[in-house]
Amino acid sequence: MSKAKAKDPRFPDFSYTVEEGARATRVPGGRTIEELEPEYKIKGRTTFSALFKIDPFDFWVGPFYVGFWGLVSVLGIIFGSYFYIDATILRGPYSYPQNFFAGRIDPPPAEVGLALVGPGQPGFAWQMTVFFATLAFLGWLMRQVDISMKLRMGYHIAVAYGVVFSSWLTLQIIRPVLLGQWHEGFVLGIMPHLDWVSNFGYRYNNFFYNPFHAIGISGLFGSTWLLACHGSLILSAAQYRGPEGGDIENQFFRDTIIYSIGESGIHRLGFIFACGGVLSANLCILLSGWPVQDWVSFWNFWNTLPWWSGV
Amino acid sequence: MATVNTTPGDLELGPRDKGRVGKPIELPILENFGLDSQIGPTFIGFWNLTAFITGGMFFFIWLVVMASQVGWNPIAFAKYFFVLQIDPPPAAFGLGWAPLELGGWWLISTFFLTVSIFAWLMHLYTRAVRLGLKPYLAYGFTGAIILYLVIYIIRPMWMGTWAEAPPHGLKALLDWTNNVSVRYGNFYYNPFHMLSIFFLLGSTVLLAMHAGTIWALEKYGAHEEWQEIQAPGTGTERAQLFWRWCMGFNANAYSIHLWAFWFAWLCGVTGAIGVFLSMPDFVNNWYQWGVEAGINYPDKLPPMLP
Repeated sequence: MSKAKAKDPRFPDFSYTVEEGARATRVPGGRTIEELEPEYKIKGRTTFSALFKIDPFDFWVGPFYVGFWGLVSVLGIIFGSYFYIDATILRGPYSYPQNFFAGRIDPPPAEVGLALVGPGQPGFAWQMTVFFATLAFLGWLMRQVDISMKLRMGYHIAVAYGVVFSSWLTLQIIRPVLLGQWHEGFVLGIMPHLDWVSNFGYRYNNFFYNPFHAIGISGLFGSTWLLACHGSLILSAAQYRGPEGGDIENQFFRDTIIYSIGESGIHRLGFIFACGGVLSANLCILLSGWPVQDWVSFWNFWNTLPWWSGV
Repeated sequence: MATVNTTPGDLELGPRDKGRVGKPIELPILENFGLDSQIGPTFIGFWNLTAFITGGMFFFIWLVVMASQVGWNPIAFAKYFFVLQIDPPPAAFGLGWAPLELGGWWLISTFFLTVSIFAWLMHLYTRAVRLGLKPYLAYGFTGAIILYLVIYIIRPMWMGTWAEAPPHGLKALLDWTNNVSVRYGNFYYNPFHMLSIFFLLGSTVLLAMHAGTIWALEKYGAHEEWQEIQAPGTGTERAQLFWRWCMGFNANAYSIHLWAFWFAWLCGVTGAIGVFLSMPDFVNNWYQWGVEAGINYPDKLPPMLP
């Protein structure tokens, strides 16, 4: 447990305060979901009711919260899945299990530009799937906002989901629009989308030379590393039967690597690592094919920097 | 789960770090960001020292050999830092000794790097045991070590030449990764590479979900996870309800860390299997493997679907 330490008054305070009485709610062994859930299932406090005073979608189905955005999300999931499954699996060229891996939905051909194609035209299934998937993701994001409001939490989960949603938007909407054709979007399908990623990397010569790709990959490896360190530390401390588990966690990391970032700090660092890695990955896609055509010759600037031109 | 016993044995620890050598440094500004303000005191033991000395030897050899390659010119060293490299011995030397300039330095530096990694593993293990903790951090480190060993030691030895190992150098490591994928017919078709990427991206998602949940609930004390595991309070209850309401099921304050551990550990281990199988003895061409396994069909052109 973090003891109240002196903060530096010269700097803004981005720390936290544990609410009065929050720690007193702890129940040894915990309560079951059946015991605790009714306490928290309170009507109201949603985005919809904030705008319109009443919220007819403010209910639960089984464990799921619905809400207006749940409805939007479910519509997106049903229609998006219909278009995806129909085109890849049901009407795919091979048997159903083979279509599961090899079935594909290609984006519209380059001639279409940014136009919308009609039913029966190449690219219609792609545009429909992408549209409904985007709708489903947006609904899911806003539903997380709703649930956070209901539970009086911060919006950090919705922000993190928004970061991964931004990857989808970058790949399928923003970059194709910037380049002027839906054809730039990625192919849908399990193996075909892997092929697309592979081809995309070599189309710009070699993605390993893309610095934002390198930062993004470092963010992913760093996230996995942080997750392993945090997960294993908490699992080991959970079996610790000393007087104060938070202190032994800090003690272990001070002993091994001089510094322990602390119980709140590790979650802040992890959030920033995971989101930062994905945001850098967005940038590496966005910059390819538009300002940068070749990530190998991109590095020519490095060799021609003025301070070592003669070396 | 809810039982808290007293400190075992002679172990005496606590907020005042009783009985420890050295004074901590306090940086109060770190508290302003929710980070712990105390730095040190740290533990200098045999394994820690060994890890630092051998790791230092690795970096010393790496940097000095690279500096010699540019004639000890510091500006050239900075300019070419990313592309300088120490190559392993050429295939003609097999697993035998090679002259220093022809891979000998690579053999020596890799030896020190490997010793350093295992000393660090022992450091993590012995410290945890000494503090009365289960050594799970050391167990988690084995996931990364297995991947390192397969890439640098086991696979080259199985193939009978150190030339198969990656050179030491930043660009060289990226090139090795690219080339091994191309040489073995596209790693995107390697199912263990798929699993490794799944666990890599899955770990990032799990970290974002868990870290976001806890950060959003700091005002309810959800980040005090040791206490919340013994006795869940309103913070953990809200965290559980968020995910139950959002995706229909939830972990708890303990089990989310089980998910975390296994996702991260399996990323390294599945990757190690995927690299090890990529050799002429086992799988020479993953693209061919994927076609034979029936997950893609290059011979039949897919029809253009509306």
